[in-house]
Amino acid sequence: MSTTRTILICSGKGGVGKTTSTANLGIALAKQGKTTVVLDADFGLRNLDLLLGLENRIVYTAQEVLAESCRLEQALVKHKQEPNLCLLPAGNPRMLEWLTPKDMQSIVSLLEKRFDYVLIDCPAGIEDGFKNAVSATREALVITTPEVAAVRDADRVIGLLNIQGVAPVQLVLNRVRPRMMTNQEMLSVDDITDILALPLLGLVFEDEQVIVSTNRGEPLTLGDSSAPAAQAYHNIARRLQGEEIPLMDPSQARRGLRARMRKLMQTKIF
Amino acid sequence: MQGLELPNHHVQHWRDALPVLLNQLQPGAISLDCGAWLLTCGELNELRKTMAGMGCNLLEVSATNPETLVCASALGLSARLSSDLIGSQKPRDAPTTDSELLFHQGTLRSGDHLQSDGDILLFGDVNPGALISADGDVMVWGRLRGTAHAGQHGEKQARIIALQLRPVQLRIADVVARGPEDQPQTGLVEQARLQDGEIVIEPAPAQGFIGR
Ligand SMILES: Nc1ncnc2c1ncn2[C@@H]1O[C@H](COP(=O)(O)OP(=O)(O)OP(=O)(O)O)[C@@H](O)[C@H]1O
Ligand SMILES: [Mg+2]
Repeated sequence: MSTTRTILICSGKGGVGKTTSTANLGIALAKQGKTTVVLDADFGLRNLDLLLGLENRIVYTAQEVLAESCRLEQALVKHKQEPNLCLLPAGNPRMLEWLTPKDMQSIVSLLEKRFDYVLIDCPAGIEDGFKNAVSATREALVITTPEVAAVRDADRVIGLLNIQGVAPVQLVLNRVRPRMMTNQEMLSVDDITDILALPLLGLVFEDEQVIVSTNRGEPLTLGDSSAPAAQAYHNIARRLQGEEIPLMDPSQARRGLRARMRKLMQTKIF
Repeated sequence: MQGLELPNHHVQHWRDALPVLLNQLQPGAISLDCGAWLLTCGELNELRKTMAGMGCNLLEVSATNPETLVCASALGLSARLSSDLIGSQKPRDAPTTDSELLFHQGTLRSGDHLQSDGDILLFGDVNPGALISADGDVMVWGRLRGTAHAGQHGEKQARIIALQLRPVQLRIADVVARGPEDQPQTGLVEQARLQDGEIVIEPAPAQGFIGR
């Protein structure tokens, strides 16, 4: 039996950070010595290649591999700086009809022969794209932001994952704003875990650096960024491997910030 | 252990499906999923004998019908309440039974709808975005945070009872109310019922539903 961990990164609601998380976790796992492949299952609107800065290296896709018009090795795009990480691009967006759950399963089982981790970037929603991706996975990470609508959709997705027997299903809370949480302008971590009833694998703060790095095609985890979001993704990758690392506490982060501000002010004044 | 699943009762009677189902079995231990069917002791025993004749050993029975479970236990089989009533094989919306009480274990998540022609008893939470509805009473052994509809065909005596009653919306017969906004008192079981055409929420009586 293969020891590969195949993990679906999904959310329900769109735009909450699935692709960002897939890219950053992929790099983080690769850096920690795990051979990792990220599979773009968002066939309609692929952009995992963009985020990883690999767009211009794509020659073949999963579609050609399945049609046996190329070998898997030819379609895999190795990351420039992080050789442990490969991308398997989705097929041509205009030819979606070919993909069935069975196709997805064949692709994933090919990948499972070669990699320690297979991360699948899932399309938003609960339509065919999602169903195809679910059929090929064992585990899932559900990404949500602390917004009522995102949590509601995440809950729906968790229900569907449970029915399909996907386990374990773990939670990543993205775009957390400590100040809004402590002021109770946003759902709190407790509110969310209380409803979703999933183990919380990590929280990622709202961070401009995420957007900057995305636009550059260099995920935050690639450099040695000290940004909290980069740290958060590295920690999530470690927790995935069973390491116990305490979660960041938004209220503490806030206090830390305030303390730092006070220090700065003091140095200025005195 | 091999699984043997009886067909959904909306689709086909289990007795009609049985020959085909039995044909697919390999000799060995069998776990039988009865779904919502009521199987009597006699029927279960007969099934067990038929299977034994094929080299199969019926060990486990799961069902959503409490009576089937009682019969299975009485025969010394391991009996389990199905937690996957809204399972992949069955329609996701509105699984109904003809029995008086529908019993379901597990949390209803956003988009789920559990409903019954009789009363309904849920062991689990009803999350925001989920709906639980019944012709009779709705009882939730858990937190009710979604929408509940009791007496959906006009039964004005129907009640909604939950360990924690903080729904998005409550309906009894044709009356609709929004859920209370204040935080619930912990450890207090509450019920909602119709009084003079309005939905009122009050502590549930100690006797619960006995004697209705
Ligand atoms: N922690 C964060 N802080 C700030 N911005 C973020 C963070 N995470 C994601 N974003 C931004 O949110 C936007 C959506 O992210 P992303 O494309 O990863 O979401 P998605 O879930 O894959 O979307 P889709 O459903 O469209 O596939 C991007 O512009 C991204 O840069
Ligand atoms: Mg995406």
